Amino acid sequence: MFKRHKSLERKREFLFQGLPQSTMKNNTRNFHSLSQLVLSAGPLKATRTLKLSKTTHFEIEILDAHTRKQICVVDKVPQTSTIHDVKQKFHKACPKWYPSRVGLQLEYGGPFLKDYVTIQSVAASSIITLYFTDLGRQVSWTTVFLAEYSGPLLIYILFYLRSSYIYDAKESSRRPRHPVVHLACFCHCIHYIRHLLETLFVHKVSSGHSPTKNLIKGCAFYWGFTSWIAYYINHPRYTPPSFGNRQIIVSAINFLICEAGNHFINTVLAHPNHTGSNACFPSPNYNPFTWLFFLVSCPNYTYEIGSWISFTVMTQTLPVGIFTILMSIQMTLWAQKKHKIYQKKFNSCVHRKSAIIPFIL
Amino acid sequence: MPLAMCSFVCSDIFFLSFQVQSEDSVLLFVIAWTITEIIRYSFYTFSLLNHLPYIIKWARYTLFIVLYPMGVSGELLTIYAALPFVRQAGLYSISLPNKYNFSFDYYAFLILVMISYIPLFPQLYFHMLHQRRKVLSGTEEHKKFD
Repeated sequence: MFKRHKSLERKREFLFQGLPQSTMKNNTRNFHSLSQLVLSAGPLKATRTLKLSKTTHFEIEILDAHTRKQICVVDKVPQTSTIHDVKQKFHKACPKWYPSRVGLQLEYGGPFLKDYVTIQSVAASSIITLYFTDLGRQVSWTTVFLAEYSGPLLIYILFYLRSSYIYDAKESSRRPRHPVVHLACFCHCIHYIRHLLETLFVHKVSSGHSPTKNLIKGCAFYWGFTSWIAYYINHPRYTPPSFGNRQIIVSAINFLICEAGNHFINTVLAHPNHTGSNACFPSPNYNPFTWLFFLVSCPNYTYEIGSWISFTVMTQTLPVGIFTILMSIQMTLWAQKKHKIYQKKFNSCVHRKSAIIPFIL
Repeated sequence: MPLAMCSFVCSDIFFLSFQVQSEDSVLLFVIAWTITEIIRYSFYTFSLLNHLPYIIKWARYTLFIVLYPMGVSGELLTIYAALPFVRQAGLYSISLPNKYNFSFDYYAFLILVMISYIPLFPQLYFHMLHQRRKVLSGTEEHKKFD
């Protein structure tokens, strides 16, 4: 459904590009030298001259992936440039395709080349053919997050103010509101304000983009569910929780603990301790909230699920429960995907941990 | 998708009320869907046996032009006929206040379902028309070359 935190993953991949890139380089060189050996005599001379000469420039021919027609030729590309530079030059040549919308493949039907990949690693000779696919209108991840999180904030406050368009005005004025309604509004707003501030100041989103469809789907999901839950919590006929103040206070404290935990985990993920080839899985530090890293590989999702469960218990509202279940399913899927990636990369650090719930999942 | 629509309406009629079961519109969509389903499942069976008679394929991709609108109008009329009974009995509806702060209005839900036919049915119909053009004209060309 959503590939939100893939952008954070890309940032981490960028740090560790040494490992996969060298293997890719070796594979490409092996395949190409083998194919050239089969096709003609004296093949390795071409690659050897490439290594020796420092001033060769690449020429990249860009074909349309579906029609195989040539769109343009990007020439005078220096050796050290990356796919990102190629996309910029392509945009200058054909202004219609701005860089984030362009998908370049090495062969038809192959994977899209990432922005940080250098031309040298994929080049067999000084003339390269790349296939272009239009990825559709793209929107940056920051915009997606800001839209998804500011909507619920405003919608909930709209319902909290009990406008007469939504609720019956006479009934609203007749019944006084239980304190848990105010507490719920406060907690909900804190949750989304924290998300917004983290998107703006903490998360290092690599300039990734996603199709506009994801923006619309995400916004519809968040805004729709927020209006649904806000309607019930702020309704004049709202029934407070069955176990009274004890239930409310315990779940409120739990909510605040999970929010704090989520915040600290996001800060740790944004500023990892080691970088480069010695880098390991984000490590827990003196902060007790980060100690969950010992048990779980994606504690930010754990804390988020914890916050929503405490919010459900605090308000005792079924729609909130449904929202929590859907979010938990989605986050569990993301966490398991990430956990698999971590296991492949850092097996030594991660093998004793579980993905999202300690010892269980 | 037609399966989902069909099962929704069938379960609706089953659970709904005896008052609605004797309506004419019930006859309309039951006939339409039974014929459609008989042809469809014989199409699948013969396809699996790799021995598909052209008449079944033709029937599947042609008769829907009449049967789908028949079925959909039958369903809509039935739901419309059932609305007053649902309103009266408060069938399958939960109202506030209750312990879990949840409410569900079956009447409003049925109206939403009726409205949702407006975007969904044309999509389905045009998809089937497109399939018809692809499948039936494809076999004709194949026959010409034979």
